[in-house]
Amino acid sequence: MLFLRIEPSSAVPIYRQIMEQIRDQIISGQLTIGQQMPSVRQLAEELAVNQNTVLKVYGELCREGLLKMERGSGTFIADVSSARRADECEQIVARILGQAVEKARNMNIGIETMEELLRKEYQKRTGEPR
Amino acid sequence: MNEYVIQIEGLHVRYGKYEALGGVDLNVPKGSIFGFIGRNGAGKTTTIKTLLGLLTPRAGSCRMLGLDVQKQPLEVRKRVGYMAEDQQMYGWMTVDEIIRWVGSFYPAWDSTFVSHLREVLQLDLKQRVKNLSKGQNSKLALLLALGHRPQLVILDDPTLGLDPIARKEFLRYVISLLQNEGVTVFFSSHLLYEIEPVADYIAILDKGRIIKADKTIDLRESVRKLIIEPNNTCDWRQIQGLLDVAVDDGTRHAAITVEDCTPEKKVNIQTMGKLIREVPLNLDEIFEAYVIGNRGERKPL
Repeated sequence: MLFLRIEPSSAVPIYRQIMEQIRDQIISGQLTIGQQMPSVRQLAEELAVNQNTVLKVYGELCREGLLKMERGSGTFIADVSSARRADECEQIVARILGQAVEKARNMNIGIETMEELLRKEYQKRTGEPR
Repeated sequence: MNEYVIQIEGLHVRYGKYEALGGVDLNVPKGSIFGFIGRNGAGKTTTIKTLLGLLTPRAGSCRMLGLDVQKQPLEVRKRVGYMAEDQQMYGWMTVDEIIRWVGSFYPAWDSTFVSHLREVLQLDLKQRVKNLSKGQNSKLALLLALGHRPQLVILDDPTLGLDPIARKEFLRYVISLLQNEGVTVFFSSHLLYEIEPVADYIAILDKGRIIKADKTIDLRESVRKLIIEPNNTCDWRQIQGLLDVAVDDGTRHAAITVEDCTPEKKVNIQTMGKLIREVPLNLDEIFEAYVIGNRGERKPL
C-alpha cells in the first residue's frame, strides 16, 4: 500500500500531487530499493484517476531515476544512492522552510526569532533537547 | 494525427426563439476520456441529445464514429452507448427483466460481458428497479449502456445525485471498465473536481458556445493568477488572453488571471507593473475565470 492522498480542490495538478508523494516516500526510504510498484492499471483504479495520469507519473519518476520500468515484469523502486537521497530530502525541507521564511518576512519576523521558533518546533515534535 | 470519434461543426440548436447552442465546434479524440463541463443550462444536454439524433439542429453537423448522426441514427445507436441524465427505467421490471428487454434491441448484445458487468457492479438480478438506490440505479443504467460493447460511450451527468462514495466508485468503473478496454468516454458534469482526475481533455461550454477545449493538464498549468502593482499607464485590454482582473481598493494591487501564461507573456505583463507573486489556481477557479471573469470591459472591482 502506498497510502497516497489526492486533494481534489488543490491548486496543485493531480499528477504532481501523486508524483510528489511517491517521490517523498522513495527518497525518505519508506519505499525500499527493488520494491515493486502497483501496475499503472491497479494504481489508477485504486485512486480513481485516469491511467494516463499514473503513466505520466511513472514516466517522470523513471526519467528522474527514482523508478525503473522493466519490460514485462513491472515498475520497481530504483537503486538511489544514499547521498542523493539525503540531498533530495534536504531540498524538500529547504523548500518548505523557504515558504516559512516568506511568511515570516511578510510578518516582519526576523532571523533570530525564526531560529528560535524552529528550535522550539523541532523540540516539540521530537522530544529531543535543543 | 488524431482520429476523432465525435466531430461537431458549427452546431446551432434553437428551442423556439431561444438559441440553446450558438455554433458549437468540438472534436473528441479516439480512446480519450473527455469531460464536458458547463453550468446548469449551458447546453450540455442539448449538445448530447443532438449528437444522438434526438434533436434536429438548425445548422451544423455532428458525426460520431464517422457516421452522420442525422442520416444514420440507427447505425450510430448500435455503436454508441448512452446514459441519459437521471435515466428513467421501468420501475416494475426486475433487474434481470430490464437487462433482457434492453438486450433484445441490440443484435450485438454480449450476454457474457453483461453477466461479468453485473458481478463487478454487484447488481441483484431479482430486485425491482423501483427499489434500487440512486447509486444502484446509475450502475444499472451504465450496464445497459455498455451491454452491446460500444466503442464510444456518452454519459450525461452520470454522477448527478450520487453521494461522494458512490461517485468515486462510479468513476472507478469508468476507468476499469472503459478506459481499460480502449473505449472513448464523453461525459458531462458540472462538478469540476470530479472531472479533473479522470479526464484527458476538458471542454467548457457556456451559453451555448465552447469557450475552451484543451488537455486537462495544459488547462491546469497554463492559467495563472498574477498579483501585480500596476503602474499608471497600464491598460488591462492590452493583455492577451486576459480572463479576469480585480483590483484591491486598499493596496491598489491587481489580481489578473491569464490563459496560456508563457514566460514571454509574464515579461510583457511586467511592463505594466511590478509582479508581486504568482498564484496557481484550482480547476474551479479556472472555470470561474473563463465563465464569469472580468475581461477589463468593466471597471475592475
